[in-house]
Amino acid sequence: MRLAFILSEIGSGLRRNLSMVVSVILVTFVSLTFVGAAGMLQLQINQMKGYWYDKVQVAIFLCGDGSTAAGCATGTATPEQQENLRTLLESPAVAQYINDFQFESKDEAYKHFKEQFSNSPIVDSVTPDQLPASFRINMKDPEKYQIISETFSSQPGVETVIDQRQVLERLFSVMNAASLVAVIIAGVMIVCAILLIATTIRLSAFSRRRETGIMRLVGASKTVIQLPFILEGVIAAVIGAALASGTLWAVAHFFLGEYMSKQYPDTAFISPAQTLILAPALIGLGATLAGISSLLTLRRYLRV
Amino acid sequence: MIRFENVTKVYDQKARPALDSVNLEIDRGEFAFLVGASGSGKSTFLRLVLKEDRATSGAVYVAGQNVANISSWRVPRLRRGIGVVFQDFRLLPQKNVFANVAFAMQVIGKSRSIIRDTVPEVLKTVGLEGKEHRMPHELSGGEQQRVAIARAVVNRPGILLADEPTGNLDPTTSMGIMGVLDKINQNGTTVVMATHDDDIVNEMRKRVVELRNGVVIRDEARALYTSMIPVVGQSRRFKDASGRPDGSAADPGDGSVSSQAGEAQ
Ligand SMILES: Nc1ncnc2c1ncn2[C@@H]1O[C@H](COP(=O)(O)OP(=O)(O)O)[C@@H](O)[C@H]1O
Ligand SMILES: [Mg+2]
Repeated sequence: MRLAFILSEIGSGLRRNLSMVVSVILVTFVSLTFVGAAGMLQLQINQMKGYWYDKVQVAIFLCGDGSTAAGCATGTATPEQQENLRTLLESPAVAQYINDFQFESKDEAYKHFKEQFSNSPIVDSVTPDQLPASFRINMKDPEKYQIISETFSSQPGVETVIDQRQVLERLFSVMNAASLVAVIIAGVMIVCAILLIATTIRLSAFSRRRETGIMRLVGASKTVIQLPFILEGVIAAVIGAALASGTLWAVAHFFLGEYMSKQYPDTAFISPAQTLILAPALIGLGATLAGISSLLTLRRYLRV
Repeated sequence: MIRFENVTKVYDQKARPALDSVNLEIDRGEFAFLVGASGSGKSTFLRLVLKEDRATSGAVYVAGQNVANISSWRVPRLRRGIGVVFQDFRLLPQKNVFANVAFAMQVIGKSRSIIRDTVPEVLKTVGLEGKEHRMPHELSGGEQQRVAIARAVVNRPGILLADEPTGNLDPTTSMGIMGVLDKINQNGTTVVMATHDDDIVNEMRKRVVELRNGVVIRDEARALYTSMIPVVGQSRRFKDASGRPDGSAADPGDGSVSSQAGEAQ
């Protein structure tokens, strides 16, 4: 009975304040979309880093079947060439610059590739043969890349030496700046959302002061009096958060999945499903914001 | 049932206290009028009983419990034991008679079947049977006040506080309301009614507690609106808030006459 009563109170509150409730939904929707966009950029950065990015800085790719580089005259790198490179990496002249290195075989390369490009159609058209084996090197000082490059580029069996960081770092710094901007906008919008929720609750409490006054006099508990107002704000904010989550999913599905992945087939994009891990966080954040701001408002405007 | 021990209530440090060292005890099942001019502290007294405000000093006991010791989450339970009606009825305009009374039961979690059984019974007690589906604007003032009384007593409180319940009603209607309050009192509910309606007080012949400027100046059983006993000491020279000299005190034994004179003014 009490639950049914609280629910009907919430229903009538939402109807009575419809325009305010819609504005709360929209403001939380926009602010949480920005929060989610920042989260999505970070997910995308992780996706692009792939398996090796945080572990190594420099990759020495060995010759594959179709390699045309000068060192690949003999075709696919032979086991002897591989051994020579390993010896060279372990020699004191080179070892002083590196922490450690790992060898990635064609099969391992294929496994890591499949993980990184799991959302991309490209993964089906690639076989282990097409992927080069490589040495992945963790540098003591990433700035010393040049030394490794000079030493290994001309070795037989080496196709190319790549400083992965140099390739991606600039892009990542742009993406990080974009997430920062998104977070700042989100922060301002969240302040708007909190103030708007507080105002809505206050108006709602004012328009129902007759009811709440009577409830107080006949001995209704604080929960019964306040919960409808708090839930009113929370429900509006959760709807806004759900819309924001839906928007992020749509961006991942239609923009990244359908458009960007065709424009840039060699880039790994996050999947729509991955954006859904942001949804509980956004909904939780929305509900918390609304709950806290309505509690604070009610303490001032709805005496019990 | 209600006991005030040396209760003083100061709203505003610069003004005189709204209640000044009030000592008073109202027993279970009693019917007491709280009389006095506007501003004499009647409503303040009732608010302290409800713990709507806290006493500045002294102690207020309700049903044996010092209300100062009731924690805020248990205040609702205190209020479930006290019904209140006001001069302005305070009905919910968009709910019909039945729903207005049922509201008081819904918000404390009473089941639908209990509500269905109890509300018509209480409406009968206040003389509103057959009017369950009227909206408040379709009722006369007296009927609206009956709805308010029904709402106040539907949860069977031990105490009913009425703050000038007849203040907006004509004399005949007022007497009807008094009949309802008397019936509720007969059923065992302690009733405290603040009023400055002298006709009603004179008609009812109940206990009268008179306040003036926050001080209890009279407490008489089966009394009239104005005292039949001379008021001793300096209070003789006091004037009440309306500026009318306290003529009654100067004329012992003639309370009913002077009250009629007061009404004629
Ligand atoms: N909330 C309040 N704040 C300040 N002063 C108040 C408040 N309520 C009542 N008072 C003052 O307390 C005195 C007693 O008021 P009240 O109890 O309402 O008297 P009554 O009900 O007998 O007319 C008056 O002087 C009034 O101005
Ligand atoms: Mg008053």
